[in-house]
Amino acid sequence: MSNECTHFRIAIGGEPRMLSPEVSAHLATCAACRQFHAETVSLDGRVRAALELPLAKFRKAPPPARRFALAASVVLAMILAGGFWLLRPQSALAGEVLDHVRHEAGSWAAHDVLSAGEIAAVLQKAGVQFDSSMPVVYASACPFRGHSVPHLVVQTASGPMTVMLLAHESVTSRREFSSDGYRGVLLPAGQGSVAVLMQHTEVPDAAAMQVLSGVRW
Amino acid sequence: MNPRPRGTTGGGPFARLLEMLRPDLVRFAFWLARDRAVAEDVVQETLIRAWKSREELKDQAAARPWLFTIVRREHARLYERKRLPTVDVDDASALGDPALASDGDAGLDDLRRAIMQLPEEYREPLVMQVLGGLTTAEIAAELGLTQAAVLTRLFRARNRLRVIYGLPPGEDAE
Repeated sequence: MSNECTHFRIAIGGEPRMLSPEVSAHLATCAACRQFHAETVSLDGRVRAALELPLAKFRKAPPPARRFALAASVVLAMILAGGFWLLRPQSALAGEVLDHVRHEAGSWAAHDVLSAGEIAAVLQKAGVQFDSSMPVVYASACPFRGHSVPHLVVQTASGPMTVMLLAHESVTSRREFSSDGYRGVLLPAGQGSVAVLMQHTEVPDAAAMQVLSGVRW
Repeated sequence: MNPRPRGTTGGGPFARLLEMLRPDLVRFAFWLARDRAVAEDVVQETLIRAWKSREELKDQAAARPWLFTIVRREHARLYERKRLPTVDVDDASALGDPALASDGDAGLDDLRRAIMQLPEEYREPLVMQVLGGLTTAEIAAELGLTQAAVLTRLFRARNRLRVIYGLPPGEDAE
């Protein structure tokens, strides 16, 4: 193989689907490089298929080793912390959010968009700022874990979505939860967190993100 | 708070665009981090940052490379901020992460593991180009390299994968 071919093959291997006129001209006269190009394009198709990971599998439970590690760390923490405080991590928080939402089941039925003044009054009570263009149809300052927490219902393209702005509850990472037809997610938001829930459908990322981007403690 | 009139949706075209591109952002983050949980965190941060900076995106056709570069920066930032441990590739493969398993296509599984084991300097531009659709000029700008250096890295990445695919490697001018 000539040095010229080596030079062209680097160009082909670097960008097989976008050849310069110079490379194309070389391919017209060099059968070996034409074959190299055809092979590389074929390989690229497989590479693309390989990179497109099946996200359905992606979202399944963590692999056994990680589950074991998690279980081991939980057991260790129980021993170290005497067990009691373990009952307060994110799953407990999610459970309390669900309980609270169940007790205010009527909030889902609200459909009249509230005025900015009505919403501001609720936010002010909790000392939270929430700047969003999402239409709010329910707003209440609810007692939750010893604090006043804004409990909102906003309208989204996928239906009503409950939002609880938890200034005093810190979570370390995103955590999805579901129960009795409710599906929700706890999201870290600075020093606090946000819980968003929907009924019978997964919370769209865009909607959750829109909420997060509007929260200020 | 600035409620919209009744009947309007809160998302809009930009939110829909993010939802549409999210799967590939998660895939890209996974190929960078080689860890599913980290990938999800990176994309979460990316979507928030993109939403806040949405005015910067003048042309929606450029959304894909724009979001991919945010993912890359958020990934780097996450490691800086949390000082996450580096993933041991051999362990990751040995665990048989279900995200890497195809439906009975052993060749594809092998290729995924081979991509996973590429050095970062080869894997990153390859994923940016093939999955993200970035041009070599865009990759060069993002990685702070010349276009020639990017082409060489991409050639070497594919050269290593050729062997997995049962092809003779191309001659490297190294």
